[in-house]
Amino acid sequence: MGSLTALGALLLILMIIVGGKQGISSFLSMVINFGILFFSIVLIAFHLPPIAVTIVASVILLSITIFWSSASDNASTTAFQASVMILIILIVIIIPIEYWARVGGFGLEDSEELEGLSMYVGISFTKLAISTAILSSLGAIAEASIAIASGLDEITIQHPKISSSQLFLDGIVIGKQIIGTAVNTLFFGFFGSSMGLFIWFYGLNYSFGDIINDKVFAAELIAIIISLIGVVLTIPGTTLMMSHRLKKIQDKEKSESGK
Amino acid sequence: MWTMAFKLKSRMTWIQVLIVVIFCLVAVFLTAHDDSLYSEPIFQVTKVTNGKVTKMSDEFHNVDYYHQQLLSGHITNGKYAGKHLKIQNAYSNSGAMDHQYRTNQKLFIVLHTSPKLHATVKDLKRDTPIIFLLALAVSLLFIILKFRGVTVISSIVINTILFWLAVKIDHHNNGAAVIPIFSILAVIFCIITLFLVMGWNRKMLVTLSAVISATAITILLTLLVFGVTHEKGMYYESMQYVTQLPKPLFLAEVLIGVLGAVMDEATDIVASLATLKQERPELSKLQVFNSGRQIGKSIMGPLINVLFFIFMAETLPMTLLYLKNGNTWKYSFSMNMSLGMTSSLISGIGIVLTVILSSLFAGLLIKGDER
Repeated sequence: MGSLTALGALLLILMIIVGGKQGISSFLSMVINFGILFFSIVLIAFHLPPIAVTIVASVILLSITIFWSSASDNASTTAFQASVMILIILIVIIIPIEYWARVGGFGLEDSEELEGLSMYVGISFTKLAISTAILSSLGAIAEASIAIASGLDEITIQHPKISSSQLFLDGIVIGKQIIGTAVNTLFFGFFGSSMGLFIWFYGLNYSFGDIINDKVFAAELIAIIISLIGVVLTIPGTTLMMSHRLKKIQDKEKSESGK
Repeated sequence: MWTMAFKLKSRMTWIQVLIVVIFCLVAVFLTAHDDSLYSEPIFQVTKVTNGKVTKMSDEFHNVDYYHQQLLSGHITNGKYAGKHLKIQNAYSNSGAMDHQYRTNQKLFIVLHTSPKLHATVKDLKRDTPIIFLLALAVSLLFIILKFRGVTVISSIVINTILFWLAVKIDHHNNGAAVIPIFSILAVIFCIITLFLVMGWNRKMLVTLSAVISATAITILLTLLVFGVTHEKGMYYESMQYVTQLPKPLFLAEVLIGVLGAVMDEATDIVASLATLKQERPELSKLQVFNSGRQIGKSIMGPLINVLFFIFMAETLPMTLLYLKNGNTWKYSFSMNMSLGMTSSLISGIGIVLTVILSSLFAGLLIKGDER
């Protein structure tokens, strides 16, 4: 048995112990997310437009991550709508930034690994950098929107008469509570995944100017800041969706009771 | 009354938006005119002349186009400031290692003085877009989080400085002690971050002990699995940017990478259980533990996915390159994605263990009167 399989089995067992059925579905959602991610790369390799493939894949990935979590129907529907909205905003921000900063492709630091590979494959690596940045933000957006939507859903269950403007204020309060730690999740993930790069920079005496202009570093930093912006925007985004939804439900009840 | 409040609110929103726009523009302006801070020569492109285009194809039938371009412009800093130059550049449509340059872009160049002054392009100057994006993120944090934004940003800044210090110490040890160094760093990270989020109290200490023990057990379990499976299928040689022994570096990367998620989760669970115990002090230790498990099982899935996407997405370009170079799916996966997948699985184990340990510690250690 390979290490990967053994670790996977260990994770599955632990997840079942903690979550039972929910544990299995959480595990499966990760496996299927991997499948979709890999399939997207294969599609891009077959020259389908990278950004379009990424957008379609992202919507599917978000829906799997959100609807397979244990959030209530109301919460997960709201979280899904909000995260798709955030996804659209992020795409609008990321496309001009990537064309401006041109971080697509590989840097000098990659030279050794690229040895013997043909680099002229006819697929735009700038577009691929856009895909990478979008995909790396998906988990963070999904997590933040589920957390906020679940919190707000709890409030609407306990106070069904709450006004939508009051709910909006509550949402911002809940959002502030979760954001501090959500940002940490992102930044430590970033520190961990680019530790080798940082050691490389230090070892080869890169100056601050060298680092900030470095293609590989810039690519990673852009991806993480885009995720950060996504998480921050999730607070008003999810809250807006939830209060809108509540208003619609309340209006409907009002018109029904008026009849 | 309502409309007035609304007007006031919307006016404040407009002022905020205006401040953000000005802040970002200032950041862009400053970094667009910081050429004199660089010791490397910077070249401003003022005119681009397109040269000939060649069609290329490789042994794997990948078709690409190779373009020549002549960049005219002047040097903006250093000894040769103001000097006009023409530089040859070539780029491909895919642009994996090369770039098409346009007018108004600034480039770092390498100057050659013999036989006469000429230059080659090194790379694009990218500080302006990076600083712009940072400015945008910082201002959004302040607008949406208000004062809390200060805590979030200071926590990021402090942690970045500490991380850089740890990298420095690691380098001076030639990577011999990477795991001890980053384990100590991890503990310091936890203390500072949890202090900023929760303050110094019993709740924070419970969270801290849950985080540290969950992370430690995760690393031990990983080593155990590696021992049992003889690290079969671990392609350390495929690790990127490795300047020291890859295996300890990999473990240190995972250790730091999972820390944020584990803290996020432990904070959530301990804080909710403390509130619960305060509202209903009659709950037994076991009942508190079970409530913790209930909270934990709903957040663990999304949290694992956060790290999964961070670890996996960045492997995309290289995997694609492997696929386009006629490699099989399996080989492309093994050489590029398997380490990311391993990191995701180890992180997942850490996240699940945190559910158990933070519920356990909260059940044992949190009293009903604890605020």
